[in-house]
Amino acid sequence: MTTSRTTQKVQRWIDLLTTLLSHNFPLTFLDLARGVPQYLADGSVDRGEPSPTLKRMFERDKLELRSMGVPIETIGEEGEEDTSYRLRPGDFYLPYLAVASQRGTLKPKKVDRHGYRSLAELTFDADELVAVAEGAARARQLGDPVLRADVDAAVRKLAVDLPLGAASAGDATYVRQPRSSGDPATFEALSDALFRQKRVTFDYRSMGRDETARRAAEPYGLFFINGHWYLVGHDTERDALRNFRVSRMGAVKVNAAREGTPDYSIPEGFSLREHARSRNAWELGDDQPLEAIVEVRGTSGAARAAAELGEPVEGNPDRRCYEVRRRDVFARWLLSFAGELVPVAPPALVEEFRAQVAATRARYVSGARA
Amino acid sequence: MSAADQLKRILTVIPRLADGEEHPVEEVARLAGIDRLRLVADLTSVSERYDTPGGWVDGVAITVDPRSVSVRTSHFLRPMRLTMAELCALELGLGLLRRERHESELPAIERASERLRKAITELPQNDRHEGLRVAELAHAGDPAHLATLSRARRAKRKVRLRYRSGSAKASSDRVICPHALVHSAGSWYVVAYCETGEGMRIFRLDRVEAATQLAEEFTPSADADVARLVAERPFVGEPGRTMTVRYSPRIARWIREREGGELDADGSLVREYPLGDMGWGVRHVLQYGPDAEVLEPTELRKEIVRRLERMAV
Repeated sequence: MTTSRTTQKVQRWIDLLTTLLSHNFPLTFLDLARGVPQYLADGSVDRGEPSPTLKRMFERDKLELRSMGVPIETIGEEGEEDTSYRLRPGDFYLPYLAVASQRGTLKPKKVDRHGYRSLAELTFDADELVAVAEGAARARQLGDPVLRADVDAAVRKLAVDLPLGAASAGDATYVRQPRSSGDPATFEALSDALFRQKRVTFDYRSMGRDETARRAAEPYGLFFINGHWYLVGHDTERDALRNFRVSRMGAVKVNAAREGTPDYSIPEGFSLREHARSRNAWELGDDQPLEAIVEVRGTSGAARAAAELGEPVEGNPDRRCYEVRRRDVFARWLLSFAGELVPVAPPALVEEFRAQVAATRARYVSGARA
Repeated sequence: MSAADQLKRILTVIPRLADGEEHPVEEVARLAGIDRLRLVADLTSVSERYDTPGGWVDGVAITVDPRSVSVRTSHFLRPMRLTMAELCALELGLGLLRRERHESELPAIERASERLRKAITELPQNDRHEGLRVAELAHAGDPAHLATLSRARRAKRKVRLRYRSGSAKASSDRVICPHALVHSAGSWYVVAYCETGEGMRIFRLDRVEAATQLAEEFTPSADADVARLVAERPFVGEPGRTMTVRYSPRIARWIREREGGELDADGSLVREYPLGDMGWGVRHVLQYGPDAEVLEPTELRKEIVRRLERMAV
């Protein structure tokens, strides 16, 4: 019976980890290889001259384990004969996690064996425990499967010691998901591209033109706002920063060329948090901003909330000032307040608003279909 | 299924198993958050070593039968430290909590974050994980009111709310029992029993003018009721009457993406909504200008025309 390549790899990694963890001193590759049966298979280790194929396998294993977060330490220059490797239990194993309460500290059972006795201990108080549990729950609710998998993996580790399930039992906060939140494969590919800074190409459904086209971008980050995930990146064809809604992306391909080398760097001044800051639709766009003055004539809850989005106008408590980049969108937004918010300046905005009112009224009076 | 995923799962379950005892497969699978078959496959892949030289002593000895598993090893008796990606995922959630919570609760969130940072594996590439994702849930409304409502909900305390509904000309005070907070399409809502209105109500955060936690406690309704309300009730208007709206071909695709439905032959879309509040109906339709038209009820059409005529003056 033969073993699948995936199983072989898992067995090899486990052997590699157990060999490293069994020694409290650094091991050269030759020493290490004697603890890993698959490294002995071609006989080159026994001959004292590891084959290039075997060395490549080890380099690949080391890279993949590190990318999973395993802190294998290199002593000396990578790839040299006398280079050695170490994995300290204290760097690899989770510290013991205790919970402090008014009744005392609940400590986890410690492993009374070499390598485990010196592990650190972290003590969470009850409020911190609730914060971890509810923070995990909130991140899970955002609909990104990669994010959820990372949260779940973290919680499973922490839950070996901490009662996280009980801590989150009182959280009755819900994030409603949009109808379509994106394909898991899309999130996986984008997460990979972001971490390695690789260019992506993808199908993108443009709602404005109702067509799907192949697009290319250098990803700068993923952000969640107003119930949707967006990729922000440099659109290489348009040479501009663009947001792409993840649920409209498909068939994402990450540039496979020069795998270990980033394709681009994110500009120094770019801040994902600032870019993702909540904005109203009329604040977005490339047009020069205009100052719109609006008179607040109504007192409904909706009108008051809308008024809060603008700035006060000195000497006129009924007026608010808004910075607007998209006049047409702003005019429609004002229209939705059905006369409680009315633009008074600049004239072009007033005209736009009046035109929208007239066109909408015509829809009902003339009977023409919307 | 990648080897990396499999190894991560194995490293997570071994600390729960490696006491030499037999453990029920179902129980271990539940704790590991994976299904039974996958658990057995993961563990079998480690225990069945057909390609290993004879006489080899395994670092990890695993016995798997259909009902139970046991592991003997001196390795992996603790889970692996958190990875940077896992920490960033938890911190993203903690960041959202910071925006929801009262300032008195922020120190615990900060301390939790600091403690988690002490539980990660240190690698040179860790910096590259940071800042790849951000999320924001709050959009409109006073964060202080959200914090008060969130704290009162967890403490099961009633709240005095000054609220002005979308169509009300004046605000009014009411006492509510906050059962749940819901974020939907850029707005926060509190699902609460309203003592003044004697029923479950949904309040939109940006219409809350004041929120004060009271000393009086309340007993929450069965969670199932709240969950049903949150899941089923659209966050628009009140149920009961309906309104029918036709969206023009120019915007119908966006509406369909958000709400579903089938386009008509001319590319337009007709949708039906619960309508208990005429003011909401007017605002909902007018936001689309001439690209949306109320088909029914007639009185809503008349109200829209009346408002448009006043605006045209």
